[in-house]
Amino acid sequence: MDQKTMSETKIETTVHGMMAEFTTVDSLLSACRRIRDAGYTKTDAYTPFPVHGIDKALGIKPTALPWICLIAGATGTCIALAMQIWMNSIDYKYIISGKPYLSLPAFIPVAFELTILLASFGAFFGMWALNGLPKFSNPMFTDPRFDRATDDRFFLYVDASDERYDANGVRNLLADTGSDYINEVVEDDSPKEVPKPVFLIWGLSVAASLVPLICILTMRVTNSSKPRFHIFFDMDFSPSKDAQQVTSLFADNRAMRSDVPGTVARGQMEESLDMLTGIDVEALTLSDPPRVERLVRAYMQADDEAKAEEKEAIEAEEKVAGEAAEAAPASVMDTTPWVAKNPLTVDAELLAQGQQQFAIYCSVCHGMDGYGNGLVNQRAQSINAPTWVPPASMHQETLYADKYPDGKLFSTISNGIRKMPGYAGQIKLKDRWAIVAYVRALQKSQNASLDLVPESEKAAVESAVAEVKAELKRQAEAAEKAAAARKQAQQ
Amino acid sequence: MSEHAAPAVKPADDPAFQLPASLRGLQMPLLGGGLIALLVGMGMAFAVSDADMPRFGMSAYLAAFLYVLTIVLGCLFFVLIQHLVRAGWSVVVRRVAECMMIMIVPMAFLFLPILFAVFSEGTLFVWTDPDFATNLHLDNKMWETKKLFLNAPFFVLRALVYFGIWGALAVYYWRGSVNQDETGERAATDRMQYWSGPAVMAFSLSLSFAAFDWGMSLAPMWFSTMFGVYIFAGGILAAHCVITLLTYVLQRAGALKEEVTPEHYHDLGKYIFGFIVFWTYISFSQYMLIWYGNIPEETEWFFSRQEGGFGYLSIGLIFFHWLIPFFGTMSRHVRRRPGVMAFWAAYILVVHFIDIYWIVMPEARVVEQHTVPSFGGPLGILASLLCVVGMSTLVIGLVLRVAGGNRVVPVRDPRLRESIIFENI
Repeated sequence: MDQKTMSETKIETTVHGMMAEFTTVDSLLSACRRIRDAGYTKTDAYTPFPVHGIDKALGIKPTALPWICLIAGATGTCIALAMQIWMNSIDYKYIISGKPYLSLPAFIPVAFELTILLASFGAFFGMWALNGLPKFSNPMFTDPRFDRATDDRFFLYVDASDERYDANGVRNLLADTGSDYINEVVEDDSPKEVPKPVFLIWGLSVAASLVPLICILTMRVTNSSKPRFHIFFDMDFSPSKDAQQVTSLFADNRAMRSDVPGTVARGQMEESLDMLTGIDVEALTLSDPPRVERLVRAYMQADDEAKAEEKEAIEAEEKVAGEAAEAAPASVMDTTPWVAKNPLTVDAELLAQGQQQFAIYCSVCHGMDGYGNGLVNQRAQSINAPTWVPPASMHQETLYADKYPDGKLFSTISNGIRKMPGYAGQIKLKDRWAIVAYVRALQKSQNASLDLVPESEKAAVESAVAEVKAELKRQAEAAEKAAAARKQAQQ
Repeated sequence: MSEHAAPAVKPADDPAFQLPASLRGLQMPLLGGGLIALLVGMGMAFAVSDADMPRFGMSAYLAAFLYVLTIVLGCLFFVLIQHLVRAGWSVVVRRVAECMMIMIVPMAFLFLPILFAVFSEGTLFVWTDPDFATNLHLDNKMWETKKLFLNAPFFVLRALVYFGIWGALAVYYWRGSVNQDETGERAATDRMQYWSGPAVMAFSLSLSFAAFDWGMSLAPMWFSTMFGVYIFAGGILAAHCVITLLTYVLQRAGALKEEVTPEHYHDLGKYIFGFIVFWTYISFSQYMLIWYGNIPEETEWFFSRQEGGFGYLSIGLIFFHWLIPFFGTMSRHVRRRPGVMAFWAAYILVVHFIDIYWIVMPEARVVEQHTVPSFGGPLGILASLLCVVGMSTLVIGLVLRVAGGNRVVPVRDPRLRESIIFENI
């Protein structure tokens, strides 16, 4: 009677299913089997402790969780290996304790850890997904007797969305299994709104959590005579030295360390000997094998001694050539078979690079136009510096490509000539070749005729030339006028 | 609580708990055949030994000995652990492990040739050769320090201690279990549980040191603190395989038909799977630390296992000791099929010998000349195989003899019913 009135009052609400209460595990299990054999699939059992065999009794299929776990784990392995191979063997090759870039034994620990991590995630979140979690409430909670599911009662639930569901049929079936208490599971009609104070407390907590942050920020930026507050002291005051600083750590007191003898910076030894020296080594092998040997030692094996020897030899012969120009034997600069053609592909990009490097390193003496009248030269002339040797003009015929090969020019930039020091230490290898290319372009530009200009741009060039001529003429006239005016004023 | 009605526990004298007659008849053939195979194998192994490989004969014997010993010790550990954690599920398969465990007594006798080898200079362990340090130009001071540990009298003393500990443990747990068959007293189980904690500690230390003595000291200049665990990992894995395989054989022969169910194979399978991973984890850890440290005296051991065909064996271990059985025993469906699990158990037992062979045999060459390690040709391989097959057969014959005189299940263990009705979730 009581049950009937209950179901009448809740007739408006949604019915989720039917539940039955059992007092023993065995009665629950036999009920589960009856329900399973009756063909219901959307069922569930609630027990205070794990019950062996309930999966079979309810007809629950084996879980797919192991597969999720396996796939997630395998994904972890792949990610870890791909990440390490990409990072250490492809993108940023880095030698670690002499091991190869791609050394699997070193990659295994990370692969192992990531496999475990993703497999655990797969198991954890896979379990959530399979169980339909997170779920804040279950319609079963609407029944007050369900609380005993955590204590000493067992519950069986048949969902209303089951194809075979029929309220009376299910009720009869469950009653047949010997349950004392059978009830419909209905929608929870308690209010769904979150109580207002919750928002207030939440807002206040968020605000309160900002207080320490604001305090710290204030301490960081405020004007005060007291020492400033440092959250991470060693990040504000790093013990590392800056370039050019002094240190007591090393005998030479330099904080910056120079390369260990015999080491080569990454990327500095990857070119051919021709490109490193500007010498056609193949041709030199035929005429002077010992020198090739010395070069190989000096450049390929980074033997400083051999490098010094080579430099000395060049300088000595250089001196001989300079002192007795006519009688002396031909200079090493002339006998060396130089590389005739720039080994780099000469294009606009390379020329722009060369122009930039030329402007940085060469123009101070040689001038932006290469005529040898750079700022340093102008200054030396104006103070009559006694030891100053005027820099060469790039535009003398002896320096053209047919008489002064590209390799020789490169060697001059690298090792220096007369007063000019070698720039190999300052200018990178490819930049030096770029300068060679730019110097060639500079030389060509001074002897260019109008025929070389493409038809389409001829008019523009001509008008520009006319403009410049007119401007020069105007300036000359102005100067003349001014001179005449000065003369008149003096008279 | 299971799907089926709980089976009744049969009376203690039920034929299901006796060794089947078909296996009983195998005792003498196995003992005789094993002994002959072992002797023939030893003879061939000594025939292979010459100036190039003076240690081949004894090394082949040691490999066979260590193979059986690690399994026997693994079974001892299995029994100890079951008592330590008061496991209920394992009672029906525990007697099989106990029969293997008690084999530590005959193993002590089989150790005697190795004991003799220590006194005949350089026939097995290079450190027994008085010229060893001179030939290798070793630092005298260091060698003197090493000799404080590596000398024949101390070696014998340690061996006695190891066998003393293992023998005492094995006999105590064997007696406790077998006597309970008659008396049925619960106190026996409690006593065995009480002693299992100290027993596991004594066992672990003695096993680790025995591994150092008998495996690691073959290359006396090499050291790895992981080595004891490595030997243990292989042994306990093989022990679970032996338990699985022997249980399966017993069932096929007619015993334990209803007592041992796929649930037990499932649990043994979990153990096998887990210890495959454990073995891999330990052996890779040992390898990686040494590979990464790259210290000459440590890498030397692995280097000699990359020469003369042993490199293939090293690579082979990765695939055959880890990858293939790892995926082979991963699935629950595989573990619940006794026949398939028996196959994987037999497979692992074969691979375990390769593992032991790989540890022992590369050291059989003349170390002072740094010759490439070799298998000793077809005759050498055949000799090694005959030795291990002979010794294994001998021990299995003894196991059948012991099992024939007793029951194949601890029939009055208080947890027997729990074990019979045991079910995985």
